[in-house]
Amino acid sequence: MAATTEATTKDVFDIWTTYQSILKDEEISTPLAAILALTELVQRSDAGTMFELVKALNDGAKVLNERTPNPISLNAGCELFIAFVTLFPHDSDSFSDLKKELVRQGQQYANEALTYRQKIARLALEFIKDDSVILTHSYSRVVMKTLLCAHERKRISVYVTEARPRGLGLRTYEELTAAGIPCTVVLDSAVAYAMNKIDFVLVGSEAVVESGGLINAVGSNQIAIIAKAANVPFYALAESYKFHRLFPLSQYDLPTHRPNILSFPLMAAPTPCRKHPVPLKEQPITAEERNASTLTSSQTRYMTQEQIARNPDVDYTRSRHNL
Amino acid sequence: MTKAERRELQERQRATKAAAKASGPSTPATKPGATPTAKGTTQSLASAAKKSGKTADGKPVKGEQEDTSHLHTHAQVDDTTRGLRIFSHFGLPKSPSVTKGDVHPAIIRVGLQFSDFKITGANARCIAMLTAFKAVIQGYVTPPNNTLSRHLMTHLSPQINHLVLARPMSVTMGNAIRQLKLEISGSDIDLPEQDAKNALCTKIDNYIRDRIIIADQVIQETAGKKIKDGDVILTYARSSVVEKVLLRAWEDDKRFSVIIVDSRPMLEGKALLKALTAVSIPCTYLLLPSLPSVLPHATTLFVGAHSIHANGAVFSRAGTATVAMMAKAHNVPVVVCCETYKWSETVRWDSFSKNELGNLSVLCPLYDLTPPSYITAVVTEVGVIPPSSMSSIPAALGRTIGT
Repeated sequence: MAATTEATTKDVFDIWTTYQSILKDEEISTPLAAILALTELVQRSDAGTMFELVKALNDGAKVLNERTPNPISLNAGCELFIAFVTLFPHDSDSFSDLKKELVRQGQQYANEALTYRQKIARLALEFIKDDSVILTHSYSRVVMKTLLCAHERKRISVYVTEARPRGLGLRTYEELTAAGIPCTVVLDSAVAYAMNKIDFVLVGSEAVVESGGLINAVGSNQIAIIAKAANVPFYALAESYKFHRLFPLSQYDLPTHRPNILSFPLMAAPTPCRKHPVPLKEQPITAEERNASTLTSSQTRYMTQEQIARNPDVDYTRSRHNL
Repeated sequence: MTKAERRELQERQRATKAAAKASGPSTPATKPGATPTAKGTTQSLASAAKKSGKTADGKPVKGEQEDTSHLHTHAQVDDTTRGLRIFSHFGLPKSPSVTKGDVHPAIIRVGLQFSDFKITGANARCIAMLTAFKAVIQGYVTPPNNTLSRHLMTHLSPQINHLVLARPMSVTMGNAIRQLKLEISGSDIDLPEQDAKNALCTKIDNYIRDRIIIADQVIQETAGKKIKDGDVILTYARSSVVEKVLLRAWEDDKRFSVIIVDSRPMLEGKALLKALTAVSIPCTYLLLPSLPSVLPHATTLFVGAHSIHANGAVFSRAGTATVAMMAKAHNVPVVVCCETYKWSETVRWDSFSKNELGNLSVLCPLYDLTPPSYITAVVTEVGVIPPSSMSSIPAALGRTIGT
């Protein structure tokens, strides 16, 4: 018993670091990294029966889920692999042969999955006409590949949203500009303003859910609603391993929903307003003070980290049928 | 003649026919009624059952039997018949011919319980029917020069007809009977009779266990995940599945409250209220007209179903569609809890084409259709499904049964 717990602790420890090291490859997305990490778990596992193996896989998946910042897409990969293992015909005589086969299939799948973005880019080309003006949101590898692929054959110009707070849209801007594609960054709040100049919207995805909806970086839902109101097509690109068995009933029914998201801060005893510590009437405002207050009102303010933490990272875009 | 004119003529002809039947001499057992009745049929059913399992009649003849019949003027009868014409296509039963063979007492009892609304609900009716069938099968003796696999179904037909005369068949009963027919015809010819009968009874038990009991357990778990602490769960009337989901979620230490919306004349919500308050779940009970005032407080709506259809529509107790539509308007997600054996490959767009009337003094259809656009999710034992994917349920079922 002690030996197995040692082995499992070793595995448990390994799975997170294994996962991290796999993720270092930029091309590999979180679900694929999860699949590869679980494949490695199978390889190292000393389970003797399918039951033990599946249990070990579930434990490993649980560890990954707890430690990752974005569990949804990772979970899609885990569930895909565990379902594959469970449904794999296990009537081979030797269990270790079975494990070898599972490992081989897992690695083969991951290798093939790396070609998915290319395939998607080629398929998406049919939707991109010459001289298209495209809006995209934040940074998505599959959208990047598609845009770069389109740029080789057609003329496109791209608007990209800033995607606060992480500002990943700026990364998209840098990469597109470096490739020679005309690109402009759009404020998240200016999407409605810009929508009538846009031919279609193209976004990536964290996960595609059972309701037919999409989970993507926060702001996608807003863009989708505006696009629908303006009759602008909204396309989402998703690799097949991002399909998840989740079924959110609402924005707040997501596993990433933390209780402090959109919560109100606890107010202490009411403090007097700091701007006017003394009633104006009684104290003449000096010229300095007057200048200072006007400066403060026009100066750009930024959200504090604590305020940002009260905001979600992803949102849920409903499919056309579920609106 | 335009279509409308032709219809008017048809209606007039039908009304005069019905009025003629009403005023003519008639006996309960031989006259078909305009619609099947709910109340006041015990007496007539019992007498009818003694004869040979024929049902009592619709309103015009019922009026004759009661003492107050002479108070009904011809005009009044005419009015009510015209009013019922709108749904008269629901329950015009074919004139019940003499039933070939006797109806088993277990079936007679279930029939009475159905027509008195003592047993209501798609699941309860199906289980009661299947349990009665087991008694029929055990009491069955294969006639000489015949085989069980070929003759048993003929023997069961009058039993089924008797139940249909009591109340129109539910989709669940229909699906169960179809499965039973399949099992009977697949019965091994070489098996001794008692073994074959026992095998069939086991198959019936397995059907109830797999498609209802276990399915409900899976649904309890899956739907339970959608209930969180502090939620206000809205529900309508009484669904056996929703009741199980709520009780199980409470058992799993989730702390939520329930709003039960109810409606006349069935007032089934009272039974649900009793069951939930028995385990101290905080409940609010109100009638359908008060729904708008509580909707802003609701988190999720859970309803059950009589049947679900290939186009994503849900056929359920009358009033469900109203509650679902209002909930959607208030952004309250609508979750339908439903076993897969309630799936029907028919496509339904309205509550009108096929329904059942309850009480006859007020126009009271028992069911209505909730269109797919008002449903957020359907929780079945094969997973949570959006209404647009309902047509894929048989395929999903095949996969789980296969593995």
